Amino acid sequence: MDSLILENVSKIFDSIKSKGKFGPDKNKVLPKKNDKFVALENISFRVPQGEIFGIIGNNGSGKTTLLRTIAGIYHQNQGKITINGRMAPLLNIGTGFNAELVAKENIVLSGMLSGLSKSKIKSKVDEILEFSELKEFENMKLKHYSSGMRARLAFATAIQINPDILLVDEILSVGDYSFRKKSYAAFYAFKKNKKTILYVSHNLDAMAKLCDRILLLRHGKMIMLGNPKEVIEKHKEIIGDEDISKN
Amino acid sequence: MSKDDFPLIGLWGKRSLVFNFALMNIKIRYKGTYLGLFWTALEPLLLFVLLYVVFTGIRTSNKEDFAIYLLIGIILHHTFARGTQGGMMSLRENISILSSINIKRELFPVTTTVTASLLLLVEVAVFLGFMPFVEFIPEATIILLPIVLFLLFFLILGVSYFLSVINAFTRDVQPLWGIIVMALFFITPIFWYIDEASGILLDIHNINPLGQLVEIAHKVIFGEIPHIDDWLYVSAWIFGIFFVGKMVFNKLEKNILEKM
Repeated sequence: MDSLILENVSKIFDSIKSKGKFGPDKNKVLPKKNDKFVALENISFRVPQGEIFGIIGNNGSGKTTLLRTIAGIYHQNQGKITINGRMAPLLNIGTGFNAELVAKENIVLSGMLSGLSKSKIKSKVDEILEFSELKEFENMKLKHYSSGMRARLAFATAIQINPDILLVDEILSVGDYSFRKKSYAAFYAFKKNKKTILYVSHNLDAMAKLCDRILLLRHGKMIMLGNPKEVIEKHKEIIGDEDISKN
Repeated sequence: MSKDDFPLIGLWGKRSLVFNFALMNIKIRYKGTYLGLFWTALEPLLLFVLLYVVFTGIRTSNKEDFAIYLLIGIILHHTFARGTQGGMMSLRENISILSSINIKRELFPVTTTVTASLLLLVEVAVFLGFMPFVEFIPEATIILLPIVLFLLFFLILGVSYFLSVINAFTRDVQPLWGIIVMALFFITPIFWYIDEASGILLDIHNINPLGQLVEIAHKVIFGEIPHIDDWLYVSAWIFGIFFVGKMVFNKLEKNILEKM
């Protein structure tokens, strides 16, 4: 069964160039009719259950927009997205985390925001602190945490939601080596349990090992989808061409 | 029409989240202060002392129990100001949550309104505790006061629906609303009496739902049962604002993330 089916999904933003000193963070001048930014163009793919599906591309190629559209945070302008199962997006470091609260309070708030009941997430607090290796800092306010510690806490909280489909946007890169290893192990455990993962990262070596298939995006278009090694090869090739043409 | 199109109903399943979120808001608000929750009571009380000194100083004939009259007005206005200003910022302040999970956006203005309402309960408790100090014994009609608080909740939430989405599109609403809240302090019968008012002030008062609500609060505290027409009139205003506010919210909320 497919966990996720995208058919001709497009996402177009109104131009968001900022003009003038004052005014909101958007056009003061009315946008022209054709002043649109196409962030995603005709994206179609299927992700079977249990697959680790990678997405790569340069900055601004539409990776995060794609994840957000799948998560329902953005509404696509066109096309259809079918989701089979419970989905948990892990797009920011710590959804709903508040710097003024201690780790435990943040775990509870974040878990509840993600749809867990209070008693359920409370019973998981110890497990989360254990996994993120932050037990000794449980009573420290989050503002005193390092970015790596926050990421660990966020990841450990998110996987407790135990979704059928997990969307991960480049948040593990801040963790240290041992935590990353642990995270990848968690990914494999997910996979074993027939869960689906969509994973965005710039760490190509890790992607090659981890992913079953990789999608290469460029300027919102699908360039290639398939075998990790071949797609990464293609990605490097495009970047290489660009470098040469610049010189 | 799905149940999400109606206000509040779609959030019933998330009520535990709303209350926890609201309690966290209160906690965060007073983090780093020595007096903590005590500030909730202290803010309107200090304002009360200031106004009481000024107005008893300039007025020649004082009405009886002016202190009680003044304090309840300050508390209701203060709650309205705090609630709507919190509601206005509710979507903007939670951009990081909105951009990382798909969650009902109504959650945020509802949460700030619940926060303001919980603090209102603290202030009302202080108000009741204040009565013996000025040797005031309320009439039995004060049991109608909870209805006033209930209506205030819907007024704040209705306005918050409007302000939160408009603020997502343009920040101009922030300074503007600050002025309006200040104006409301003067055009609401907080430190003046209805029978003293005339002309344009009275005309404005007649279409000011907050003013109507404060007037009803005065009546029930001082032993008068407000006429059913008064209740219906203020309720029509408040629920009108509430439902129209939610309709505007529904219409605009889809694209707010891209606009902020």
